[in-house]
Amino acid sequence: MTFRWTTAMGLIVALATVLGCQDEKKNTQTPADRAAALAESLAVDVSGLKSADNQPLIIMDTSPLKAPPRAADSTKLPEEDPLRWYDMEYAGWDCKKVNLPKSPADGAKGKHVMCLRHMDHPYTTAYTRGMEKVAKAYGIHLKTLTAGNADVNIQSQQIDQVINERPDLAIVFPVDATAVVPMLRKLNKAGIPVIASNLLPVDQGMPFVLTWTGPDDWGQFRMLAREFAEKMNHEGGYCIVRHMPGSSCFFSRTFSVVSELKKIAPKMKCLDMQTTMLQAEKTAEVVSGWITKYGPQLKGIVSADDSGAQIGINEACKNAGREAIVRVAAGNSKVGMDFIKAGSLHAITYQSPEADGALPMKLAAEWFNGKTDLKPVYYLPKHVITAKDVDDYLPAQW
Amino acid sequence: MTQPPPIPAANGRDLASSRLLETLNVLGVYILVAGLFAIGCAVSRQFLTPDNLLNALRSVALMGIVAVGVAFITYSRHYVDLSIPGIMALSGTVAVWALQYGIVASLAAGLAAGLVIGIINGLVVGYLRLNPIIWTLAMMSILSGVIRWAYAGRQIYPDAATAAGRAFLDLYHHAVFGVVPLPLVILPIAAAVGHVVMRHTGYGAALKLTGSNYEVARLSGVHVRGVVAGAFAISALASGVAGIFLTSFNKVGAVYIGEGYDFKTITAVVLGGMTLAGGRGNIAGVLGGVMAIALMSNVMSLVRIGDFTIGQFAQNIVQGAVFILVVGVNSFSRRKAGRDDA
Repeated sequence: MTFRWTTAMGLIVALATVLGCQDEKKNTQTPADRAAALAESLAVDVSGLKSADNQPLIIMDTSPLKAPPRAADSTKLPEEDPLRWYDMEYAGWDCKKVNLPKSPADGAKGKHVMCLRHMDHPYTTAYTRGMEKVAKAYGIHLKTLTAGNADVNIQSQQIDQVINERPDLAIVFPVDATAVVPMLRKLNKAGIPVIASNLLPVDQGMPFVLTWTGPDDWGQFRMLAREFAEKMNHEGGYCIVRHMPGSSCFFSRTFSVVSELKKIAPKMKCLDMQTTMLQAEKTAEVVSGWITKYGPQLKGIVSADDSGAQIGINEACKNAGREAIVRVAAGNSKVGMDFIKAGSLHAITYQSPEADGALPMKLAAEWFNGKTDLKPVYYLPKHVITAKDVDDYLPAQW
Repeated sequence: MTQPPPIPAANGRDLASSRLLETLNVLGVYILVAGLFAIGCAVSRQFLTPDNLLNALRSVALMGIVAVGVAFITYSRHYVDLSIPGIMALSGTVAVWALQYGIVASLAAGLAAGLVIGIINGLVVGYLRLNPIIWTLAMMSILSGVIRWAYAGRQIYPDAATAAGRAFLDLYHHAVFGVVPLPLVILPIAAAVGHVVMRHTGYGAALKLTGSNYEVARLSGVHVRGVVAGAFAISALASGVAGIFLTSFNKVGAVYIGEGYDFKTITAVVLGGMTLAGGRGNIAGVLGGVMAIALMSNVMSLVRIGDFTIGQFAQNIVQGAVFILVVGVNSFSRRKAGRDDA
């Protein structure tokens, strides 16, 4: 018994010594070393990096964040009122940050960053490619984990892994906007700085993150809605193929369009909206049903996806001889851009996955360099691609 | 495949009652089809238009092809192959990759890839006697990982600049005699072949006996392991065909091609009167199940009373509820009859 206790205590002391030494090793940098490392990091210029489509890799919307006043009870507003969706669209814009770690201000080189991605998908592959480009430029070690097929439980386990591994920063691409809140709180309590990315967490999660980066789905789709209305001559019935239930896009890519068209084109009427899980075959079936059901009333279709879902939409329109139906979608995959070139899709949004992945890593590097005045959210710029400029975005990133 | 020994003749009365029960089962699904047809006519004036009915059939053609294959597994009392989506994705992806060697090589490679997985499934489930649900679920995970790993998480596209690429992209849209879409031609051919194999060959007889009572079949000298392995191979081949068509439709080889086909097809199979307990049902019933799903979905999508429509969530609930109802009723009636059930 005594021997066992002695051995156990010995092991604990040895482990503590090793860990202590590691800690000490981390802090062995002299102020001069730190200053040199910071200077080296500050000298890194990533502005010349390009995405696979030859567009700049580091892009962000620099316009100031100005939220309208919030209604007392937004849930009572009609769905066509943009303020009904206030808490989703402006999540975290005005939150008070809690227990944020202090920037080390000693440069990005050699730092360890872990990225938790929601799932394996060609979009996230391109997203990671963009992140890796920036990490390489700064000399940051990047480790990525994937939450299976967008599995909240797996992401939750990975949060524990992050806490065990104690990276210098974590980038979290949430599986679910609400389920991620306790995970962000846990990382925050563990003292690990976090940048949330792509999917905007609900308001309650935002105090625990340094910042959030990603596409401005609401703004992007309002822009797309204006292009759609123009092409529709501001009148006629339309339907919406929605994104996957549970994602923020399920709401943003639907109600930004509905509310914007209500405002700018009151003669346009939303006839129907359905999710097809973005599957081509299912979408073709649903849209064929719409064409049959609404006949000539149906003049336009908005899609939350320009690949699988758009293939189904185009198939249904072609089979029904209704190719005059105006079609717009969220983009910009190879399939979508091929459709734009072929004239079977009028407009898509520009959402660069590489830039989406690059931006949080760029901000992580800036934070390591001592930047503390981060905005609560950083959006990618908004743009709508049409036949006029589709060639500028080829070859497609995914 | 070795020819099984002659199966002991059943009592004439038993055989007649078994056939009658089976006919009633099949009739049941066609009564449902007729009922849905009548509801469709009542719900919408557009229901009974050639375009709408063609669309409804088109939407389930690939599911029907897969269901014909799955029917062999269910008939053998091995429920379903949960790796169907993975087999479809693999066949499609391999076919796109092999386009560099021409369209014939592409199709052959895609089908061969699916068949190889079916043979592996068959060997493991048939010969090693592993639980089909657990094994094929594991196989699904392996296939998903392999496809992602092989293409580094990217999608692969048929090159429309080559003749083979264009032929592949046109495959799904090819219309026989300029009217009937190719998948709608393949479906009845697959069903006819499936029917002949299941009903008029020694393999089909052995499969029925294996599905009805595995031990009796084994003791009767039926090569039960090979019979079960064959069912998985047939199912995989059908999934491979559908996977290639679906990839052609999606214009991309990707891991998500075929998602959901496992549940959809088993729903069609059981709805068509094929019990999970094995050895009962036929391909005509399975086709009825496929048509019932097509009509159910079509009718629900046409419902429009003022601003009221039936959304996708409700349609999913109905489809799931129908599956539970059919399996539940079937299971209950078999237990009542004193027979063990799945």
